Amino acid sequence: MIAPFGTFVHARSGDKGGDANLGLWVRHDGSPSYDARVAWLLATVTPDFVRGLLPETRDLEVEVHALPNLAGVNVVVHGLLGRGVAASTRFDPQAKALGEWARSRHVDIPEVLL
Amino acid sequence: MADIRIGNCSGFYGDRLSAMREMLEGGPLDVLTGDYLAELTMLILGRDQLKDPSLGYARTYVRQVEDCLGLALERGVKLVSNAGGLNPAGLAARLAEVATGMGLSPSIAYVDGDDVRSQGYPGALTANAYLGGFGIAAALAGGADVVVTGRVTDASLVVGPAAWWHGWQPTAYDALAGSVVAGHVIECGCQATGGNFSGFADVERSRPLGFPVAEVAVDGSSVITKHPGTGGAVTVDTVTAQLLYEVQGTRYLGPDVTTDLTSIRLAAVGPDRVGVTGVRGFAPPERLKVCVNELGGHRSSVEFVLTGLDIEDKAAWVREQLSPALTASSVTWSLGPLPAADADTEEGASTLLRCTVQDALPDAVGRAFSAAAVELALASYPGFTMTAPPGSGTPFGVYRAEYVDRSAVTHTVHHADGRTEVVR
Repeated sequence: MIAPFGTFVHARSGDKGGDANLGLWVRHDGSPSYDARVAWLLATVTPDFVRGLLPETRDLEVEVHALPNLAGVNVVVHGLLGRGVAASTRFDPQAKALGEWARSRHVDIPEVLL
Repeated sequence: MADIRIGNCSGFYGDRLSAMREMLEGGPLDVLTGDYLAELTMLILGRDQLKDPSLGYARTYVRQVEDCLGLALERGVKLVSNAGGLNPAGLAARLAEVATGMGLSPSIAYVDGDDVRSQGYPGALTANAYLGGFGIAAALAGGADVVVTGRVTDASLVVGPAAWWHGWQPTAYDALAGSVVAGHVIECGCQATGGNFSGFADVERSRPLGFPVAEVAVDGSSVITKHPGTGGAVTVDTVTAQLLYEVQGTRYLGPDVTTDLTSIRLAAVGPDRVGVTGVRGFAPPERLKVCVNELGGHRSSVEFVLTGLDIEDKAAWVREQLSPALTASSVTWSLGPLPAADADTEEGASTLLRCTVQDALPDAVGRAFSAAAVELALASYPGFTMTAPPGSGTPFGVYRAEYVDRSAVTHTVHHADGRTEVVR
């Protein structure tokens, strides 16, 4: 089913030099689908998924680090911010809202998880 | 040994000024920390110091301490911060002056040795090694009421006090790693308590968000919480938010310990209380990371408002008109989303066209650029207006990370009585 990625996924993002940093995890809302949601998130978020989700990253190197103990992943997008916050001409030079943009994107989510 | 209660009252230079008082009055603490330094802040402080060599520290910290020092001393709460920036000695001296003026005589120590500009970073405005927490621990062991540092890692502001309180040795890697996690959670202030949080809708928002507190146990495990009666929330989600971002990979490298982020266990242990357990640590890297900022050049930008019909044609014309004035080495144009047709507000019918220019020298981004944009006002697309008059251009920095041998850095504590002590 097509729904916003942020339907049950939380995010926080920021900068580290010229790289953007994005944390994604499944919110703790008492849903009986919690474990299945976590498994889906960990299986779904790959570098290619991120490049499709956020087309502005499509030509960039993306790393995804799974942290199952925190029910989520850490994503590093290399070079999104150019040479760093002070030098970036990007709309959001510190990638503070990158996570909320990601949450607003529509993705295909298995209906049983919703 | 009882747990140490470590509060945070600042996540950046510019954070809520009243937070130091709120944290001192809101509940019991042993140490109150504040983080004032980001990559960008070092550049701002570097520029301050170019104008006046006696500056280079976070000036808001002086105002906070002036307001709260009496209260902190009365309650026995130690104040620990990295507000010293590029000039911890200068900040310590200024705080001593302020204290004397109020008839107080706190013991003020400072920690330095992070500034490695003299070791050959050509062109660098600032170059600071990220130091660990053992300088702070030594300062507290020496009896300091107030400790100011330069560029220690953000988490060191918690690692240091916890290591002092519990008497940890530098090889107590698991305990140190536990305190690194606690420090990482609380170093960004309200980001641990519901600020900048995707789940904001479920957070108590009728009062200002409380700043966070970490209660760190002798084994390095901790409980993250906040003072009673404050706004916000401390939940597994607000803590996770802080742990999953600003890291790069599953091993979190620091000057005191390498923290295995896959070992962290979080659990709600009470209202607004989250337990952090299980954290494993390993020996830290041989070399220390150095934050290097160079002056990158000068920058300016202008935003044109485009309204109504023919947005793309309007944009194309003004771009063409401005192009002869665009002599800067870097020119970036960006056009916002096309407005909806038949919008029922003027703002809804409008979008922004932004031009940003950068150059090594100020001239190409200065008046030559801004005047050319202004001159178009009556001679360009219909409805020409700008969001603000273009400025004269501002310098910008370029950040990079470098690495330095530990032996090249002299991590030094300057105790209140004038003694100096070199750490490791």
